[in-house]
Amino acid sequence: MLEHLNQAPSLPKRVVVMGGGGFVGNGLTAHLSAQGVSVVSLTRKDVDLLADDAATKLAARVNEGDSVVFVSATAPARNAAALMQNLRMAEAFVKGVSAKAPAHVVYVSSDSVYADDANPVNERSYCQPSTMHGMMHAARELVLKNEIKAPLAIVRPSLLYGASDPHNGYGPNRFRRMAAKGEAITLFGNGEEQRDHVFIDDVASLIKLVLSHRSRGVLNIATGVSTSFRAIAEKTVALSGQKSDIVPTARQNPITHRHFDVTNCLKAFPRFSYTPLDEGLKRAASADQGAKA
Amino acid sequence: MSGPVVGFAGLTHLGLVSAVGTASKGIRVVGYDGDSERVRNINAGMLPVVEPDLDDMAREFAGNLSFTDKLADLAQCEMVYISTDVPTDDRGQSDLSGIAKSIESVIAALNPNALLIILCQVPPGFTRKLPLPAERLYYQVETLVFGRAVERATKPERFIIGCADPSQPLPASYAKVLGAFGCPLLPMLYESAELAKIAINCCLVASVTVANTLAELSERIGADWSEIAPALKLDRRIGAYSYLAPGLGIAGGNLERDLATVLRLSEQCGSEASVIAAYLTNSKHRRDWALRMVHREVFSRKPDAKLGLLGLAYKENTHSTKNSPSLALIENLHPWPITVYDPVVPASAAAHPKVTAVPSALDVARGADALIVMTPWPQFRELRAADIAAAMAGNIVIDPFGVLDGPALRAAGIAHFVLGKPERAGA
Repeated sequence: MLEHLNQAPSLPKRVVVMGGGGFVGNGLTAHLSAQGVSVVSLTRKDVDLLADDAATKLAARVNEGDSVVFVSATAPARNAAALMQNLRMAEAFVKGVSAKAPAHVVYVSSDSVYADDANPVNERSYCQPSTMHGMMHAARELVLKNEIKAPLAIVRPSLLYGASDPHNGYGPNRFRRMAAKGEAITLFGNGEEQRDHVFIDDVASLIKLVLSHRSRGVLNIATGVSTSFRAIAEKTVALSGQKSDIVPTARQNPITHRHFDVTNCLKAFPRFSYTPLDEGLKRAASADQGAKA
Repeated sequence: MSGPVVGFAGLTHLGLVSAVGTASKGIRVVGYDGDSERVRNINAGMLPVVEPDLDDMAREFAGNLSFTDKLADLAQCEMVYISTDVPTDDRGQSDLSGIAKSIESVIAALNPNALLIILCQVPPGFTRKLPLPAERLYYQVETLVFGRAVERATKPERFIIGCADPSQPLPASYAKVLGAFGCPLLPMLYESAELAKIAINCCLVASVTVANTLAELSERIGADWSEIAPALKLDRRIGAYSYLAPGLGIAGGNLERDLATVLRLSEQCGSEASVIAAYLTNSKHRRDWALRMVHREVFSRKPDAKLGLLGLAYKENTHSTKNSPSLALIENLHPWPITVYDPVVPASAAAHPKVTAVPSALDVARGADALIVMTPWPQFRELRAADIAAAMAGNIVIDPFGVLDGPALRAAGIAHFVLGKPERAGA
């Protein structure tokens, strides 16, 4: 659950986004800038959190009273080396930011911290990651909770989609790109797994709300509606106007689902509403076309 | 009149109802409370609690009843029940400081041979530690049900009595008072009786949680829990009176208190009690059913919807709002104006910046985009579907307990959402 330190929302004057070059960081920077917030967007080129001087360099870019969003990660963390790298990044972040007494820190974690069978997931669900990536986020959360003195908000997004996603993972982004080219979409099994897919713009809007309310605590970023990969493949093909085949394959793994109970978001931000999947897919598809043109 | 005189220390909901119930058996009763104004009001016929039949019964048996704010008046009693409230915090933990003080002062005022009987909810181990000889000290399980308290107090199913030594007969005066109710007496160890009270509530919570869990599933898969529950009740292993009506989580405070006590004791002694935590998780989840429904069915379509809300009390036939799902809902509806009506609870109980009280149930529907029925007061059942449809601006009725006439509402073009019924969005 989130607790709002600002009951009446008020955008921070300056926000530092550590990891501003990624899918989430980039969208957030654009969203906040459009609202007139002064955003310092830092990429690995500006501050390499794995470099020896990372903390000093980061401290030099943060002012006292800033709100700081930490979104950089070496993702996905699939092995021990990546896990340790990500933890070193968190260590450098904490050291750099703590030198400057920020007003508020927001960490962009992941729903992979929860147990696979924690349905329906809410913010009180136990953290019991089954992947190295989930354990990485859980460990980073703990590092931040222990060492950041400023109010800390942790947001845990579910699967994200949107036009500028650099990853081409299994799901709406890859399906959309395949469909646009008229290529066949290959499903794991028959794509029965249901997941909660969040449109990237909603992540930026929610982090903006968290920043304006100077909220602390945990918030899942998930719509509350889960959809099968099969249904998403069908929707993307229909939107593309092409005739891509949707091809099932022999199932290798048992079917698992993930559902969210989003009541805490309704309580924290009653006026916020997620972009429905159909609309998000449409907007992502038209943004793809805009980028091509 | 001869026979024992029974005292009740603490004219709480429990104390007052028990006092009147005992008086109705032809037993002389002295009700004591340190709050003089409360006692004055009771003596003037203004009872501070709402329960069906309570006022009539208090008048009918007034000859057996006296109420006092003087502790010394308890000296005439052969037994005194401690019936003070034991308040709980947000986590369901009991604050026993008030009852400890109350017991201390009552012991000082007792006739040297009088019995002391703990009637309020105390954790296992509490009674045995009290500074009174074992033959004068008892614990008695209360099974007060808000809204049905008089019936429970006058026709108990059984008395569960905690004693130091259950093999010894009960004192004659105590046996005579309990005998007046004509039900089985079950003497047992103090700790057994204290845990029996908790065990009863755990069983109730278990059945309610089954109902809530499967009602949610029914909503999602197109089954109707109201068709299933009667079939279960005909199974002798489950029982005709089992708690199978789905609700908005468990509320009222006492059930939560008992679950918290089991969790605390299990943690202390290392017994396995994870199911108790699961009951609480499910309860928290179901409590917000109406909030999720109003977002999904109303705000997603009309972000500036106007809401009408019927009922503030935590359940029908009570003035109590402790842990009321209605107030919990209202707390999360601050951005939207709401009109409210409750037959007993004033609108001021709702902590909401834009709340308007209206004088009747139908007025709540007027101009509302959605009508939400949060307490199943019997009088709400009298609302006619056609009148509701004519009064409303919108066509959504969220009626968790199914108080209103569903088929008639649907015939009038209203989408009616009820716990455990198949979700028929826009039906």
